[in-house]
Amino acid sequence: MRISRLYIAGSAIVSAIIVLLIFVTLIVNSSAAVAANGFHLFTYEWNPAKDQFGVLPMIFGSGAVTIIALCLAVPIGLMAAIFTSEILNPMWRAPVKSVLEILAGIPSIIYGLIGIAFFSVWVGDLFDLQSGRTILTAGLLLAIMILPTIITLCDDALHNVPQKYRETAAGLALYKYEIVKDVLLPIAKADINGAVLLALGRALGETMAVMLVIGSIDRVPEPFYNALSAGQTITSKLGREVAESAFGSVHFSALIFMSLLLVAITVSLTSLTQFYFKQEQRLVE
Amino acid sequence: MSNRSIANTAFVFLSRLATGICGFILVFLIGVIVWNGMNSMNIQFLLSEASNFGASGGILYQIVGSLLLVVMASVLVMPVAIGTALFKSEYITSPALFRLSSILIYSLNGIPSVTFGIFGLIFFVNILGTGISWFVGSIILAMMMLPTIVLTTYQSVNSIPSSYRENAYALGLNKWQVIVKVLLPQSFHGAVTGLLIALARAIGETAPIMFIATAFSGITVPGSLFDPVVSLPTHILALAQQATNEAALQNAWGSSLVLLSLVLVFSVSALLSRLRLKEISQR
Amino acid sequence: MQDHSSTMRYSTVMSRLTLAIFVLVSAACSQADTVNINVSGSSTVLPVVSRAAEQYAQEMPEVRVVVNAGGSGVGVKQLGSGQTDIGMISRDITDGEYEQYADVGLKTYAIGVDAVVPVVSSEIYAAGVTSLTFPQIASIYRGEVTNWSAIGGPDLEILVIDKEASRGTRQVFMSKIMGNKNATAPGAKLVLGSNNEEQTALAQSDAAIGMLSHAWLNDDVKGLSIIIADGAPIEPTLANIKNGQFPITRNLLLVSRSDLSAPAQDFIDYILSPEGQKIVEESGYIRVSE
Repeated sequence: MRISRLYIAGSAIVSAIIVLLIFVTLIVNSSAAVAANGFHLFTYEWNPAKDQFGVLPMIFGSGAVTIIALCLAVPIGLMAAIFTSEILNPMWRAPVKSVLEILAGIPSIIYGLIGIAFFSVWVGDLFDLQSGRTILTAGLLLAIMILPTIITLCDDALHNVPQKYRETAAGLALYKYEIVKDVLLPIAKADINGAVLLALGRALGETMAVMLVIGSIDRVPEPFYNALSAGQTITSKLGREVAESAFGSVHFSALIFMSLLLVAITVSLTSLTQFYFKQEQRLVE
Repeated sequence: MSNRSIANTAFVFLSRLATGICGFILVFLIGVIVWNGMNSMNIQFLLSEASNFGASGGILYQIVGSLLLVVMASVLVMPVAIGTALFKSEYITSPALFRLSSILIYSLNGIPSVTFGIFGLIFFVNILGTGISWFVGSIILAMMMLPTIVLTTYQSVNSIPSSYRENAYALGLNKWQVIVKVLLPQSFHGAVTGLLIALARAIGETAPIMFIATAFSGITVPGSLFDPVVSLPTHILALAQQATNEAALQNAWGSSLVLLSLVLVFSVSALLSRLRLKEISQR
Repeated sequence: MQDHSSTMRYSTVMSRLTLAIFVLVSAACSQADTVNINVSGSSTVLPVVSRAAEQYAQEMPEVRVVVNAGGSGVGVKQLGSGQTDIGMISRDITDGEYEQYADVGLKTYAIGVDAVVPVVSSEIYAAGVTSLTFPQIASIYRGEVTNWSAIGGPDLEILVIDKEASRGTRQVFMSKIMGNKNATAPGAKLVLGSNNEEQTALAQSDAAIGMLSHAWLNDDVKGLSIIIADGAPIEPTLANIKNGQFPITRNLLLVSRSDLSAPAQDFIDYILSPEGQKIVEESGYIRVSE
């Protein structure tokens, strides 16, 4: 009895320690960069040889690819979810969702391979560019990667709206378009917002695929909306440079600082998402 | 036609179009991987050692390495995950603590994969001085798998009707006996489903292991816990960087198809296991 | 109340799991008598060591040479911090590095000679840009020259490809071209890592310039000749690298700590032996001993 309680409390403590350990490790190891650079971290020059560690180009890149990905994936994903939930014969819904789940399971490194072998070449040809390794390519690839998540979660959100609303609306002779726009979407709005936030977190944290196609240059494009030039995200910077910097150096610490920023954003997004999704709780009687 | 009817037709058309685009993407992705992958697929490729920087030879040890990483990760994560789920479901009485535990688990789920790799690099490789080791890779993958398994196990323990527990206590079983004899067997499928979902994700992960667990070449089966391994995702990474080398690209597609198949084995099993889970809970 | 089939499954899965662990552990222990030599660093030196490791394994089956890429900087760093036995470096060790790792005593072994070659896409080479001067190349990387027409090529924008700062190839290249191994390249449009990655980007483009180890030149990526002080263009041929005419050459180094193990020393000796030197030559570099 005592051992059993020890085991269960022990595992819970181990789980908690893991989370805390990760945060503490990141905070401790990024402190050197903050101490050495202070607000100079938020500038545009990254050059370890000159002790310049400006992280803004990477923050810009992460923001840019994520916005592109969401702008492409949210409309398409939401429309497709409306189709699977409201128009498609319900018989097909389960198989479609299974296929989506499988699509979501394709490892990101394979997306990266497809990106480098096809997408970067296509983007280069389509826009007549010297190099298809661009912010747009990365955004496009990310859009495809988060699409299954958006469709599945939006489909759930719409499907969870009780049938009686549809029946009442149909009774008022509303068209499908009006039912979806005026009845279902307002009710499912919270869950759909949650889905978008979750996808946003995924896109921000994605590393391998982005790293292979973005061109890895630490610079904000000129003009800044020129998505057809190369860029750098926080994750691609980390993927390429963490192993190269000496543990304990300011350079290393500046990279960890970026990682901490990223974690802070994605973790708050995921936690925020939980407030959107309803969650049944059963506390011990 | 009225404006309303035109809007409706346009709307239905757009949603069909969006679905069509998604379907096209799906067919393209799977088609590209399978079509290109099949070209390099044969027994020789699956059962021989990589040579010439992966551009020739096979991927036997990459497969072995990948499986080794996730099997060890499963062994490490299962006890902790089940314990944590039981704690959450059966022991927490304070709503504040419950909330805290949820926040911690969702935080862990929200941490990007590359950060896990960096954490492993700092904490294990540098601070504990383990060096590049597949066992460390497994520990990190286990951490990544933890939230998924805790959540699914928790859900299935939590969905066991209270009457089961009450009946068991009435029969004179103590709390631990209730857990072992009633709750665990009843929720076992939930835990397995969670494990399979987590495995499908873990085996394809590159960023968490590339700093801490893998080598480029020279490894077959690791001789000890503190050796590096070769793995499928990092192999694809190395090959993808030489995408204009025909032979290397060919092997990259072959490795991708094998990796995707492994992912599918886990995710389809998860799907079946979940269906069975539903069946049981509906009984 | 108990679900029997699920209890059954529970125990069978548990026993299978136990079996799997057992197999795993016994597999892990069965090879405990092998010796590992861990090597990491430059992607330029890697082909030599990787090939040598394959052949060495046939002679010494109980020794395994584990090779990892990452770049010269990583090679020194991991060696210095004790994670590896041998570092692969494609540039000279800096005074700073000697100082930083003074306690472990870095020791170098030159295993071959290579050239860093300014390279262009084959289309540019075919269009007539076959040789450039150092100042011309420098002005491209500084972003002062952005179109091939300015230096005798077609009217195409130049895709300037840079390399990650820690790469030995970049440091050798920049110290010759710009006079500073850490010089920034404001003209760069892409930054890539290994020779493989750079070679791929050059081949995928039709107007790119980059820097590569001599061994990575092929039909898609052409090495430029270099013109020094109005002399004749010097082609990046093996002969010119060997006789020292080609201006950007470097030693390929293996680096060890003073506490080098006997098996690792043996492996280094193997690469310096005639068989090893043959591999150096086959990899596209110049041997250091006949």
